[in-house]
Amino acid sequence: MNRIEAPRLKEIDTINFIEPRKVLVGNIAPFYSIENQGSEAARIELFFKAGTIIDRPVLASLCSGLLLAGTSKESATDIHNNIDDLGGFFDINLSQEHTVVSVYALNDQIIPLLTIVMDAMHNASFPEAEIEEQIADKKQRLRVSYEKVNFLCQRDFQKRLFEGTNYAKVTEIEDYETVTRAEIIDFFNSNYRNGLLKATLVGRLQEKQLIEIEQLLEPWAGKEVTNNTPIFKQQKGNYHIEKTATVQTGIRIGRIMFDRKHEDYHGFVIMNTIFGDYFGSRLMKNIREDKGYTYGIGSALAEMKDNGYFIIGTEVGAEVAAATLKEIQFEMTQMKEQLVDKEELELVRNYLLGQALKSADGPFAMMDLFLGVEMHGLDYSFYNEALKKLKQITADEIQSLANKYLVWEEMLVITAGQQLID
Amino acid sequence: MAVVNTLYDVGARDEQEDKTGFAHLFEHLMFGGSVNIPSYDAPLQNAGGESNAFTSNDITNYYNVLPAQNIETALWLESDRMLSLAFSPKSLEVQRSVVIEEFKQRYLNQPYGDDWLLLRPLAYLKHPYKWATIGKSLQHIEEVQLDDVKAFFQKHYNPANAILCISGNFEFEYIKQLVEHWYGNIPGGIKPARILPQEPKQTEFRKAVYERDVPADAFYYAFKMGERKSEEYYIADMLSDELGKEKSSVLYLKLKKELQLVTDINAYILGSLDQGLFIISGKMMNGKSMDELDSALWEVLNDFQLNPITAQELKRLKLKIRTSREFQEQGLLNRTMNLAYYELLGDANGINEEHEIYNAIEVEHLQELSKQLFVKENCSLLQIKATQSHE
Repeated sequence: MNRIEAPRLKEIDTINFIEPRKVLVGNIAPFYSIENQGSEAARIELFFKAGTIIDRPVLASLCSGLLLAGTSKESATDIHNNIDDLGGFFDINLSQEHTVVSVYALNDQIIPLLTIVMDAMHNASFPEAEIEEQIADKKQRLRVSYEKVNFLCQRDFQKRLFEGTNYAKVTEIEDYETVTRAEIIDFFNSNYRNGLLKATLVGRLQEKQLIEIEQLLEPWAGKEVTNNTPIFKQQKGNYHIEKTATVQTGIRIGRIMFDRKHEDYHGFVIMNTIFGDYFGSRLMKNIREDKGYTYGIGSALAEMKDNGYFIIGTEVGAEVAAATLKEIQFEMTQMKEQLVDKEELELVRNYLLGQALKSADGPFAMMDLFLGVEMHGLDYSFYNEALKKLKQITADEIQSLANKYLVWEEMLVITAGQQLID
Repeated sequence: MAVVNTLYDVGARDEQEDKTGFAHLFEHLMFGGSVNIPSYDAPLQNAGGESNAFTSNDITNYYNVLPAQNIETALWLESDRMLSLAFSPKSLEVQRSVVIEEFKQRYLNQPYGDDWLLLRPLAYLKHPYKWATIGKSLQHIEEVQLDDVKAFFQKHYNPANAILCISGNFEFEYIKQLVEHWYGNIPGGIKPARILPQEPKQTEFRKAVYERDVPADAFYYAFKMGERKSEEYYIADMLSDELGKEKSSVLYLKLKKELQLVTDINAYILGSLDQGLFIISGKMMNGKSMDELDSALWEVLNDFQLNPITAQELKRLKLKIRTSREFQEQGLLNRTMNLAYYELLGDANGINEEHEIYNAIEVEHLQELSKQLFVKENCSLLQIKATQSHE
């Protein structure tokens, strides 16, 4: 038998997109649902505008932790007992632009669960004792984070890259000392009440149950604030945060880019995949698989509302941090000066086609795929455009994108750890 | 999509005590090219797929996710590295460094990162669970030789020691033919006998205290419990949910909400194949002492032994387990890995039978087990004392 030659490859299927059912809750906030066939698992996600950029981040953080912390009639424990009685779970995720409240349960428990959560939020009383407990917990968690080089460089990167805008704001220990209960309640009233921007369901429910969900959500529906996207200035330069007695150094490198509506978006994503966004990328091949400097390194185009940024991230041995920076710079130069050869480009094409297929596998993945375009005011045709670009892109085009964007001198470079050794 | 999952019945427990961390380092080397194919990842990526693996104290599991029409590429690659590796010196040299950086990133350069490196040798005196999958020390990884790699492959990486699980929208006969084609002429080998040092029954309370430059004291109570295949495993799983999983759990309510001793407290089990551990761990509230916590914790555990939970509490524990399992079953990759693991436990169909095992658990089972587990002589306590001070 022939083990040397690879089996013949077959053309990869196109994706079958599933359009979610959409209704407007309270005539404003879209509620999207996709059926989860053959499973009892159901998830509802609620997107509130209560992210960290809308006010002081400490308020967003504390408020999100206090949503289910008690009402005038029920304690936090009562509420959690009720949730547990339904076999349900919840989590609350805070990001710069949103707070997302997610609830998980079996199909026939999901509406009772949502009812408990919405009721607890509607009547939230923000008890003093709960606030104090939150503050103590969050201060401790922040102090633990201060010990991580990863956290230190990521946070400094955020502060510098978005300088002068709300995106640069972070929470420090001192912020917890001055925050008041009245401020938290104000934050809740401004950003949760009439702050539900959209909601999603993945599950298998009857039409009348979907209507029931809409009714539960209606009092919360609100409208996205428009024109609140700041203008970011390109920031550059090298900055080091000293943290002694560390055996690895955290590295973040990046710049402001654009969002999914930009003409270079699809091409940049392909170029970046080659550069640093898969296991066989240039950065991985050189810095992990050849030099052994790190357990992992990657680059990505991170997305925000109407904007985006490029970021390279890794943690490397303290003694090879400076050498790693040189290698990253070297790989950027390679991308700019040399054409990607046919084989590598073909491989990345196929890899990305396979990834696209994988990203559409199952209803939960499909909802995420949908939200990825919805947040930019786009639709599924965006992905078809991406696939088209994937088939058409040339090595020349990739090189010119690298020359346009992978410019070392324009990058913000943050390191955290021991002093760099040249 | 399709998934090709290969589970090798070898983990860190099969290592020699002077060569720990080896099973995991070896997992890295499995991506360093095989006898007929110089690169593992590139042909798979070229077929639209990707691959990864993990090692635990018990097993090493490799998986490929790729478009179904290219499944043969995964079988070609996976069977060739089962046949034989390239044993490249360069791959060993590089992966040694990569694993050392992984060791630093996960265990040495993180606050509380070395907790399990300290807890394992306290809880286990003889059984190889006394070292972590990553290994006892960087030195063991630095010392690995290519001959060790070859011997390990010969012994553990053959069909007799592997479980292959494939999923996707295929006819069974088609897959069977492909598997026979690619794997049919690989010598079956002999399943290596596993004779591990037995852990003697613990008869004394053990305690170790370490100082670390961290912001808060942390504690880990480890109680010996039954092996994965025992009925006790399922009861302990439910017991850990009752004690410390959610914000309605016993420990959370008493030690955090009522006494405000901790910022964080959890109970969970290690689902290890041999004798496992039931863990209660958490971090102290600043200004509260671990002695206070210790007496309060034992009091809660004693109370729990005396007062059985209600039927309503039992019902909700079961419902929560059902919900979690329903979510764990989402996605082809999870299901494929789970099937292979249950086959290792004895029967892939076991995955369909667990629901009944959980359902049959009664209040008395939980109470009985708690009496058996939560005694001092069955406990190993690790305390991390913070050297940083905060008001």
